[in-house]
Amino acid sequence: MSKNEKLHPAIPDLKAAVNAGKLTRREFIRYATLLGVSAAAASQMIGISWPKKLAAAGPKRGGVLKISQSIQKIDHPARYSWLMPSNSMRMVFEYMTLTGPDNVTVPYLCESWSASEDLKTWTFNVRKGVKFNNGDSFTADDCIFTINQWLDQEVKSSLLGLVGSYLKPSGIEKVNDYQFKLHLERPEIAVPEHFFQYTAQVLNHRTFEGDMKKAPHGTGPYVLDTYKEGEICIVKRRSDYWQKAADGKPLPYMDEIRFIDMGSELAPQIAALKSGEIHLIDASDNPGPQIMKAVKGDANISVLPVATATTRVLRMRVDMKPWTDNRVRMALKLCQNREKILALAYQGEGLQGQDFHVYPKHPEYCEKPIPAYQPDKAKALLAKAGYPNGIDVNIAVGSEWTDIVRYAEVLKQDALPAGIRVNIQTMPTSQYWEKWTEVDLGVTPWTHRPLGTMVPNLAYVADDKGNPVPWNETRWVDKEFSALLDQASGTLDVEKRRQIFCKLEDIQVTRGSIGIAYWMNTWMCPSKKLKNVEAHPNLIFLFNEAWLDV
Amino acid sequence: MTQPDSSIPADSPEIIVPDTDVIRFVRLRRLWEGLSVLFASKIAVAGLVIVLFWVGVAIFAPLLTPFSPLEQDWKHPNEGPSEEHILGTDELGRDLWSRLIYGARVVLVILPVSQNLWIPGGTAIWGVFVALTVGTTLGLISGYYGGWLDEITMRLLDAMMAIPVILLFLIIMTALGASAVNVVIAITIVGTPGIARLVRSLTLDIRTREYIRAAETRGESPWYIMFIEILPNARGPIIVDAMLRVGYAIFAMGTLGFLGLGMPPPSPDWGSMVAKGREFILQGSPWAALWPSLAIASLVVGLNLLADGLREESMRYQ
Repeated sequence: MSKNEKLHPAIPDLKAAVNAGKLTRREFIRYATLLGVSAAAASQMIGISWPKKLAAAGPKRGGVLKISQSIQKIDHPARYSWLMPSNSMRMVFEYMTLTGPDNVTVPYLCESWSASEDLKTWTFNVRKGVKFNNGDSFTADDCIFTINQWLDQEVKSSLLGLVGSYLKPSGIEKVNDYQFKLHLERPEIAVPEHFFQYTAQVLNHRTFEGDMKKAPHGTGPYVLDTYKEGEICIVKRRSDYWQKAADGKPLPYMDEIRFIDMGSELAPQIAALKSGEIHLIDASDNPGPQIMKAVKGDANISVLPVATATTRVLRMRVDMKPWTDNRVRMALKLCQNREKILALAYQGEGLQGQDFHVYPKHPEYCEKPIPAYQPDKAKALLAKAGYPNGIDVNIAVGSEWTDIVRYAEVLKQDALPAGIRVNIQTMPTSQYWEKWTEVDLGVTPWTHRPLGTMVPNLAYVADDKGNPVPWNETRWVDKEFSALLDQASGTLDVEKRRQIFCKLEDIQVTRGSIGIAYWMNTWMCPSKKLKNVEAHPNLIFLFNEAWLDV
Repeated sequence: MTQPDSSIPADSPEIIVPDTDVIRFVRLRRLWEGLSVLFASKIAVAGLVIVLFWVGVAIFAPLLTPFSPLEQDWKHPNEGPSEEHILGTDELGRDLWSRLIYGARVVLVILPVSQNLWIPGGTAIWGVFVALTVGTTLGLISGYYGGWLDEITMRLLDAMMAIPVILLFLIIMTALGASAVNVVIAITIVGTPGIARLVRSLTLDIRTREYIRAAETRGESPWYIMFIEILPNARGPIIVDAMLRVGYAIFAMGTLGFLGLGMPPPSPDWGSMVAKGREFILQGSPWAALWPSLAIASLVVGLNLLADGLREESMRYQ
């Protein structure tokens, strides 16, 4: 937001909330930056100085960074179904905004933005002087083209559920080459955070024709050299990147990054990391404590921890028997002994869940008790639902997510006294992703998102026509829940949002379609040769200023 | 073939009594000969001891441990051997000794057909038995009849043998899904070609013998000749081969379990125990992966020793 523009009218209220102790300073910075105030200015308003990134002591140029990562099939960034491909491609394609490791969203390809008082009109200013790696200039047309791709029914992007719920293609207005406006259907505060969803990479409107590999024209610091599914992805440094390093020359520091597919076995990857053959393991798909526990104490590897809202969702399809009956869903949820599940499945390295998709560190989290393990109550509920002799159910789990397999095994054992006989169906993880929205009962990994409103808008709502959005894997749509969620998405005051979330959480607990037993801590464990990196709750790679000490 | 038996009148004790005695004597002598072949070889005895150990603990598993293999002591996961848990506990706090010996049951003693139904005979044993039945039949027919039937059967089996074993297992298990019965089917499909080949080559040899000519001259049916005249005379190598195959089958079960395609969890499948336990090796708890690895190795070595000893001794006799 430029200096002569007015502050969003909600800013003084937010500041008052900080002074009254209702809002933490971090939350203030998060909301103020969402409303277009720069992070530095927001920090100043509440009397702290924004930690300016120190120019790391003597960054060196050159070197080849080697990362172990599963090289998945990709075509359209808006259709990524997990973080890994976004991690290699974010070296080539960039985002309009950036949500840092501290959950604060800052300008990126959009250099500033502002929201109207009712949060229904958003004005974005596009950064000037940015060029795609094929020489095309980056303008508002590219942003508009990208947003339209998300909203295109044909593309089938997960962002259709997230952004499509408040924005229609007709609501996008190009003001000039470097400014565009969004006219929303309803108030929404998290627009800039949505622009940093991992599926939201900005495309070149002149050359993109559906397959990013054929025209890998992004604005990022590297250009795509090789992409072989299941084998390797190589990106090479470009010389005309828009961001400048501390020495005044363009970033990045490293010459090349190689993403090598070493398979899903962790042991050889850990061995390669320890021996220095690779510098980092991309654990975004499997962020368990195994790597951390194996490299802890190794003099050549750093362990960078971060608490996240990444979780494993026990999801029941409400359009398939027996999960159509809420009493049966409730019965299975009551069979979760959360303390035990967290201890055994995830070695106690996280927080216990409460069957709603909001974690205790989300700003709008409304405190609720941890549901107790009650097999007797579950049995009674089953009897009422017409299953006095119990039921047999199949649970689909991906075998490479070992914590999920353990979760299922614990659940199977603890559900027996309630009369729920769980048959565990393991399958290769890739096979699970082929049918994760189709199975009637399964456990799906969901990654961290910085605001409590984001996942519910992706997973527990319907589109305009009343059909569940693409990632609504349980097909659960609840009128009251959707209405309250819309209201919460447009409420800036955190206290008020929390009050709405108290109701939202209750609805999900009493008649929802999911069980959440634990939230996972995560760790990034890079080689100490890789400098200037930080663990992100999503384990995404923000490596523009990273360098190798070789 | 009931003709020879029906020729003996059922109510003439003066004929039957000496006859059964003779039969019993002959049988006892054969058994003794068989056992003396076995005991003559130290290698075979060593193998037998190992195999009998596993069969014994498998049969008496419920008496040998106070713990159920599924019972989760969640306060004590990943512990080393102790007084309470002699081999330690796995990642869910289950007793490893219980899981190990109940795992041996699935391999050697029972075949779980569904969640609540099981039949006697271990999964590996059933797999080899079915493979043996199918392979022997195909081999006998091929070897005895020869000609185009032999050509077609053998070329088809050759084609199957050309596919790497692990790949074939993976294809079959991915297509059928993970369960004990499907493991039996997979072992059968993978084992049949080799057995058929062996039996065919034995048949080719035996069918030129004079007693086969004699049977043919007597006008015996081809089925009689194949199963009564040829098969019993080919049994030596087949038995040795079958023992080796039980070893392969146990190995295959371990591999499938390791790859997540064996018995579904929480079954105490040795292969999946290794797979799940190995995650904790690097964290300093090698027990859950170590014991089942040793179990697979010892049982397979035991069967191989037994088969090797038997083969050497029987060759010396010949």
